[in-house]
Amino acid sequence: MGILSWLILIPFLTALAVIFTPDSKKIRWVALIGTGIHLVVTAVASWRYLELIQGNFDSKALFTQLQMTEKLPWFASLGIQYFLGVDGISMLMTILTSIIIFTGVLASWDVENRAREFYSLLLILVTGVFGVFLSFDLFLFFMFYEVAVLPMYLLIGVWGTGPKEYSAMKLTLMLMVGSALLLVGFLALYHGSGLHTFDFTQIATVRFPKEFQFWVFPTIFIGFGILGALYPFHTWSPDGHASAPTAVSMLHAGVLMKMGGYGALRIAVYLLPDGAKDWGLFFMGLTTINILYGAFGAIKQKDLKFFTAYSSVSHCGMVLFGVASLNMLGFKGAVYQMFSHGIMTGLFFSLIGMVYGRTHTRIISEMGGIAKVMPWLATCFYIGGFASLGLPGLAGFVAESHIFLGGFFGNVWSDITVMRILTILATMSIVVTAVYVLRGLGSVFLGPITDHHFDGLTDAKLTEKLCTGILVATLIFAGVFPIFMGHMIEGSLVPILNRLQASGALAAIGH
Amino acid sequence: MNIFLPELTVLATGLIVLIYDLFAIKKDNSKFSTYFSLLGLILAFVLVALGDSGQALGGRFAVEGIEPWFKLIFLGSSILTLTFTAETFTSKAQEKLNHPAEFHTMMLFSITGMMFLVSSRDLISLYVSLELATIPLFLLAAWTKNIRSGEGSLKYLLSGALASAILLYGFGLLYGLTGEMSLAQIGPKLTANPALWLAAGMVLAGVGFKLTLFPFHMWAPDTYESAPTSITAFLSVASKAAGLALFFQLYYRVFSTHTLSFQFIISLFAAATMTLGNVVAIKQKNIKRFMAYSAISQAGYLMMGFLGTSHESTASIIFYLLVYALTNLTAFAVIVHHTHNQDDESIEGLRGLSLSHPILALIFMIALFGLAGIPPLSGFVGKFFLFSVAAKSGYYWLVTIAALNSTVSLYYYLRIIRQMYIEPLNPQEHPMKSSGLFKMGLGIGVLGSVVCGLIPMIYEHIDTNTIEWLSTLHVLGMK
Repeated sequence: MGILSWLILIPFLTALAVIFTPDSKKIRWVALIGTGIHLVVTAVASWRYLELIQGNFDSKALFTQLQMTEKLPWFASLGIQYFLGVDGISMLMTILTSIIIFTGVLASWDVENRAREFYSLLLILVTGVFGVFLSFDLFLFFMFYEVAVLPMYLLIGVWGTGPKEYSAMKLTLMLMVGSALLLVGFLALYHGSGLHTFDFTQIATVRFPKEFQFWVFPTIFIGFGILGALYPFHTWSPDGHASAPTAVSMLHAGVLMKMGGYGALRIAVYLLPDGAKDWGLFFMGLTTINILYGAFGAIKQKDLKFFTAYSSVSHCGMVLFGVASLNMLGFKGAVYQMFSHGIMTGLFFSLIGMVYGRTHTRIISEMGGIAKVMPWLATCFYIGGFASLGLPGLAGFVAESHIFLGGFFGNVWSDITVMRILTILATMSIVVTAVYVLRGLGSVFLGPITDHHFDGLTDAKLTEKLCTGILVATLIFAGVFPIFMGHMIEGSLVPILNRLQASGALAAIGH
Repeated sequence: MNIFLPELTVLATGLIVLIYDLFAIKKDNSKFSTYFSLLGLILAFVLVALGDSGQALGGRFAVEGIEPWFKLIFLGSSILTLTFTAETFTSKAQEKLNHPAEFHTMMLFSITGMMFLVSSRDLISLYVSLELATIPLFLLAAWTKNIRSGEGSLKYLLSGALASAILLYGFGLLYGLTGEMSLAQIGPKLTANPALWLAAGMVLAGVGFKLTLFPFHMWAPDTYESAPTSITAFLSVASKAAGLALFFQLYYRVFSTHTLSFQFIISLFAAATMTLGNVVAIKQKNIKRFMAYSAISQAGYLMMGFLGTSHESTASIIFYLLVYALTNLTAFAVIVHHTHNQDDESIEGLRGLSLSHPILALIFMIALFGLAGIPPLSGFVGKFFLFSVAAKSGYYWLVTIAALNSTVSLYYYLRIIRQMYIEPLNPQEHPMKSSGLFKMGLGIGVLGSVVCGLIPMIYEHIDTNTIEWLSTLHVLGMK
């Protein structure tokens, strides 16, 4: 069994270990050790991946290939395989998920109500996420996709706050409508290709008829778009994130929504390039609304979690915006943004959980000046906020600059003027983001302490410092050395671009 | 002679149980009849699993290709049903079942009928075995002997008799058109003419009754609600499987040259059945009635398999039937256990089950997710294959409807899961004691409904058998 299987198995085995741990006080330790091991294995796998592509740098063909593949026949008569592999994009997403689940366990250190079920569901959920990022067989992909989405219902319904049943049901059903669309689209790909295989590296060798692509592309793109909070299908996201417990919000906004962007790029655009050309501009328009609507929505929010959820809608819109702009810069920006937004929202939601645990309120106007009593948390919050408004030196800047440059450069299949207008509109969101981030954080943390109840509050504990510290460090690292991400993903974006260009010429790789 | 052995075993077991009861000294012999029936069924199960294919009675009785799978499903589901019925013979609740020996005999006779149904090769034995399968079920549905159960059973009897009559009329027309009784001989002689379509419509109505297809489903909710819960389980699985076996016989043998002309009608039936079942299930408060509508929608999904034109389609139907039987019986095991211990059939009665009985709640959740078609459970895999069959034949509109229906169904399955996991504990909950037999049946059911989708062997085996089976049949347009 290869290392990729282990990447999927470790969280699952940890979930089993959690279920069978006799002492309920030790459960969190079991979960922490399991996810810690996973982090180490992920590091080893990424190191190996970098080595492998380093060796192949000169021969560009190998450079773009899948690495460390594992193939086993499964339902052989239907062409279903257990097919794992990794390329730069999935490697990066695996790193992201591994970091988020590790910090997520730290952030939910205080969960005591039915902790056994909580941790095991959380771990089963990430098992699905790792499966999605590492599988290259449509059937397997879909299987893991739903495993990742469904535990959310119980996680929000049982451990959530506020109108949790409503939010949990809304979220689950909307996402399931998305997977229903995906199911139809995947079956169309399977039967349309005529290859009798679900292996999508093979399906990618087929050029589907234009008419076929015209209908299947939006089906799949919207299917993923629902998870990626595409306007107007984003409405589950604020409710869901606001009701979810801390670690679940972190995972959901940080990782699950990325599965939407990942799938849109990896499956919709890659397999159906002509459909992407027809629909690119339309989806750019929708995502522009996304970006602006989310940003303006965030200004008006009174609850910190809703505030972050709307800002997530805006930032996830940027991911899909980058994907829809159909060029190297846009794709690169989209992948950067998935990573940076994942870390950033993870940080936000964990901090909100920590602040709420102390002040027992998430309403912005009820807090004030609490930076005096919790300087660590305030500092981390500000760093996250700066990343979110795209301050250079942090991960958000790298991502957003690529996305907007990509949108402005345009592509040969869409009207360049419209693309530029949309990009300019979308870029305005940076200003709006600055307004809501600075105003929101200012009124929560700065100024005199408004409520004397806050006087005696403590700053972050060790586990909380570790959790936020890891996330902040990653944000800064990715902002200062974006090259490590670029190095990973460039080669993997080439096949997607090649499919887009009918001639099949190797696209320029910008270093 | 050899190939009759499983049928004869089941029949003999039924007779022995009945005769033993006549001479039994002890008054309560539910233990003996349960274990003896189980023994007979398991023996028959093994005999079917090990048995060869072959013919007897001048080709009027045959076992070929996938037919053992049907028999295994009948036998397996009755074994599972008996494991969780045993408790209700000693129950103190309203639902207490009396006369265990007769109960088991009736069930065994019904299964004998189903098994003969699969292997019959002419119209008369087909019809007789169908009646043998159905008539004991009318009695079983009335077993609790109260007004409600009687009403449900009467409804079942009347509409069942009507359906049989219509089916018989259809058979009569088929005989009139061709002058043949043998299923294999009728097929090639049928030519397209109005009388054929009339016969086909009548046959479809008769089968639709058994399979609870819209609009022939009307009896199901009332009967399911009022019958003893274990009989509800049996009706929703074994009886449905028998209906499907009947349809297999008629569709692939008698109408083998006209299957393509049925496709569009079948797609309409499938769409209407799954949508109706799902939409009405949302509003149900009684868990048995709820399961009735859920079972109706599942029949809609099953019909999608008939749209295909290759061996995959037939294999997916059998595979889904197997998966559905395991999953639905697992769900029913929990329902039987819960309703007879709590004397409460409402969905709300399940609230807080995860707090008082975590394992039972977990198993019920797995079964419900399986019915909803959530990966990695086998319910998902089976449904996926069926959807794939419809997609292959170009019925994308139906696949879309079916996929959206799955979402709707998830809503109502989640409603139950919400009661079990999110709502606080039911203060009036009685303690529940479960017997070893019940635990064993539950374990087999849940294990099967998880594993069937993960290991490919079962599906591949069915697929191989299907190819073999279809090669003997000459169905037009089937590869």
